[in-house]
Amino acid sequence: MKQGIKKAVGSLFFSAGLIALLVVLSMIFIPKNNMKAFGMEDVPANGILGEKADTIDVVIVGDSESYSSFSPMQMWEQQGFTSYVCGTPGQYLYQSETFLEKAFENQKPSVVVLETNAIYRKMSPSAAVMNTVENMFSIFRYHDRWKSMGSDDFLKPVNYTWTDDMKGYRYNNAVDQAPTKEYMIPTDQAAPIEALNEEYVKNMAEFCRENGVAFLLVSTPSTVNWNYSRHNGIEALAKEYNIPYIDMNLMRQEIPIDWTKDTRDQGDHLNHSGAVKVSSWFGKFVKEKFSLKDRRQDSSYSQWNDALGRYKKTVGEV
Amino acid sequence: MAMDSYYSIAYLALFLPLVIVVYTLFPKKGRWAVLLGSSLIFFWCISGKLVIYLLASIVSIHYGGIWIALLGTHKDERIRLAAETQGGPTKKELRKIYQKKQMAVTAGIALFNVGLLLFLKYTPFFMGNINRLLAALKIPAALEIPAMAVPIGISFYALQAVSYIMDVYWGKIPAQGNICRLALYMCFFPRLIEGPICRFKEMDEQLFNGERIHFDNLVRGSQRIVFGMMKKLVVADRLNLFIKNVYENPGQYDGGVIAMGAVLYTCQLYMDFSGTMDIVLGTGEIFGIQLPENFRQPFFSKSISQFWQRWHITLGTWFKDYIFYPVSMLRPMKKLTSFGRKHVGNYYGPLLSGGCALFCVWLCNGLWHGSGWNYIFFGMYHFALIFGAQIFEPAAAKICKVLHIPRKSVAWGTVRIVRTAALVCVGEMFFRAHGLKAGLGMFVNMVTNFTFASVKDGSLFQIGMDKKDFLIVAVAVLIVFINSILKEKSIDPREWLGKRGLPVRWGLCYGLILFVIIFGAYGVGYVPLDPIYAGF
Repeated sequence: MKQGIKKAVGSLFFSAGLIALLVVLSMIFIPKNNMKAFGMEDVPANGILGEKADTIDVVIVGDSESYSSFSPMQMWEQQGFTSYVCGTPGQYLYQSETFLEKAFENQKPSVVVLETNAIYRKMSPSAAVMNTVENMFSIFRYHDRWKSMGSDDFLKPVNYTWTDDMKGYRYNNAVDQAPTKEYMIPTDQAAPIEALNEEYVKNMAEFCRENGVAFLLVSTPSTVNWNYSRHNGIEALAKEYNIPYIDMNLMRQEIPIDWTKDTRDQGDHLNHSGAVKVSSWFGKFVKEKFSLKDRRQDSSYSQWNDALGRYKKTVGEV
Repeated sequence: MAMDSYYSIAYLALFLPLVIVVYTLFPKKGRWAVLLGSSLIFFWCISGKLVIYLLASIVSIHYGGIWIALLGTHKDERIRLAAETQGGPTKKELRKIYQKKQMAVTAGIALFNVGLLLFLKYTPFFMGNINRLLAALKIPAALEIPAMAVPIGISFYALQAVSYIMDVYWGKIPAQGNICRLALYMCFFPRLIEGPICRFKEMDEQLFNGERIHFDNLVRGSQRIVFGMMKKLVVADRLNLFIKNVYENPGQYDGGVIAMGAVLYTCQLYMDFSGTMDIVLGTGEIFGIQLPENFRQPFFSKSISQFWQRWHITLGTWFKDYIFYPVSMLRPMKKLTSFGRKHVGNYYGPLLSGGCALFCVWLCNGLWHGSGWNYIFFGMYHFALIFGAQIFEPAAAKICKVLHIPRKSVAWGTVRIVRTAALVCVGEMFFRAHGLKAGLGMFVNMVTNFTFASVKDGSLFQIGMDKKDFLIVAVAVLIVFINSILKEKSIDPREWLGKRGLPVRWGLCYGLILFVIIFGAYGVGYVPLDPIYAGF
């Protein structure tokens, strides 16, 4: 019996020691700044970490559809509120949730948008578990940094300083027209949503509710990824959890996407001219709907005006 | 949840701990049922409905074994009756009649199981070859090659099925009346994907006993699992970055890089397979089940024959027991041996029949590894090396004597070890190459275009792995090497560790765990290598 207790206590101490080591190593291995040179992953999306505290009004998460469709700088120029796209290629909902939680550590946005294409991306439960482990111990996410680590990693604290002039938007002006324009053919069928995905949407909605933030589901235009059956699926989901839903694929009057000009890859993603149309309508809508402030004259947001100049140069408006 | 290998989060963090907990909570009598249930769930998670093939194999050997036993009882009964009455067949005749019947049942069951394996694994290969033949003969016809879904571990459990039925036939074991015990023997989850290939006699009691989980077993098993993870995640998966590039585009590299690719692939294969075996045997150890070892420091072998007694041991012994000996014992083989002894002497005489049996073994060995001509070549390559060594042994002994080479010296032993390793690496190069033609091309390139240019100009470190990658692989290989030396000296590294003081014990355990976490090739930018032997 005594031996048994001794062994149990020993195991507990061993596990505690291991956890302590993982915590220490996580502190060492986490990138000390949010730039690629420091080992940061998904740099454009993580640019939000370098934004001044409590300065972002709208946070957008999702996959490539999100960073191809929403241009925060254009919405800033036209409406005067701040937004950031934490979108990454092929983003899974567990990643969306992680981005959201990270953003909320330093920001108090008024609106959160989830681009709905990620809801139909099948997730591996193992990968979702691993993502949770990585969130708890960043050594698992950044272990490969051992090759490029220096003394600063051991001595300096985390200090995110980099901001993205595009605010997560990825500019692309290529044109490759879509073969199909009529892709929203009405049907009563609803594309089924995986239970795990539904759980993540529910959790994100709950998270926003707890933080007093509006949560929106938005389907951006895409002839390849979207159809009426998916629209029905998301509409049912939105109804079940009482989440507002906007499907831009059905808003041809408000957002007149020309599929011969506004896509860069045959309807899969919008190009810059498509993003301009989406951002024009969405900026106006979200500002009015949620009474977002116009901050263009606010001196504490002067960096946004500076970034706007550089953004315009990049997109060829200057 | 995707549970496709022993390295998946689902297996290590969920399935295995859950089975351990449920197993512990169950009374001793019912623990075998926990192992069987979890094994079937494990199989279902990977192969789904293909479980039907596994069940068919289990049912076949169960009823086959009972049939053989019944024939044996019937034979004894008739012999007893024959002794009491007169005029019927003699004892000898009865024995012969029943032996034939038993042999027919055994052959039928063995063929059924091997047939399933052949059908599922080799149909595309055979049909592809028929199509090539038709094309060569300019016959305008082609067979449609079906996409076959192969149940996980069939190459391993099919051989276990054959060994069971043959052991029952040979009277080594009694037929097992409890189909659940047979099912557990066939599909025990830790050994399901990559073996080892077990024998019913050595596994049945252990699996059925329901031994309680001892703390020491849990610790020792976990240590072995982490060590296996190091081999796989730090070495095998990291080497994949280099190996994939070299074998995908062998024409782009000089002979030096190809030689490096051959050596590193051999290293990868060893680390992948022996790492998995560490996880398998470690898991078994947790449940107090001693599964047979599949490796015994193979790179300390002084000959190819010795190598195969140390590498994938359970496959080698299976081929020895169920192919080599039965073929050697065939009447024509016995006649051939007698003929040989008369005409070429007592050394070379038995080699004739031995060579035939050896040829069968290596043809089967090559084919077992995969359906492709490069695998058959791989088998024939090792057959030629082993058989050639046997033929030239007297000559080699004489040459050493004339040249005054002390054959038992350390230096000569080292030369033999290096030579064996080099020959193994060449064989593995053919094994990994995309087809026999590519393998031959790589071999010619390696021999005719061998340079150190890639090391000198640094291009070696731009083929997927940089200098730091090579360094970390070297450190991990060194750890495995030290572990192997200890084992060669009959020192159990874990027993040694268990006797150290707490700081050393915990320090080394923490060190190994963190070494895997930091230097493992997983996460963004890495594609985990599919367990190589699971595909065979």
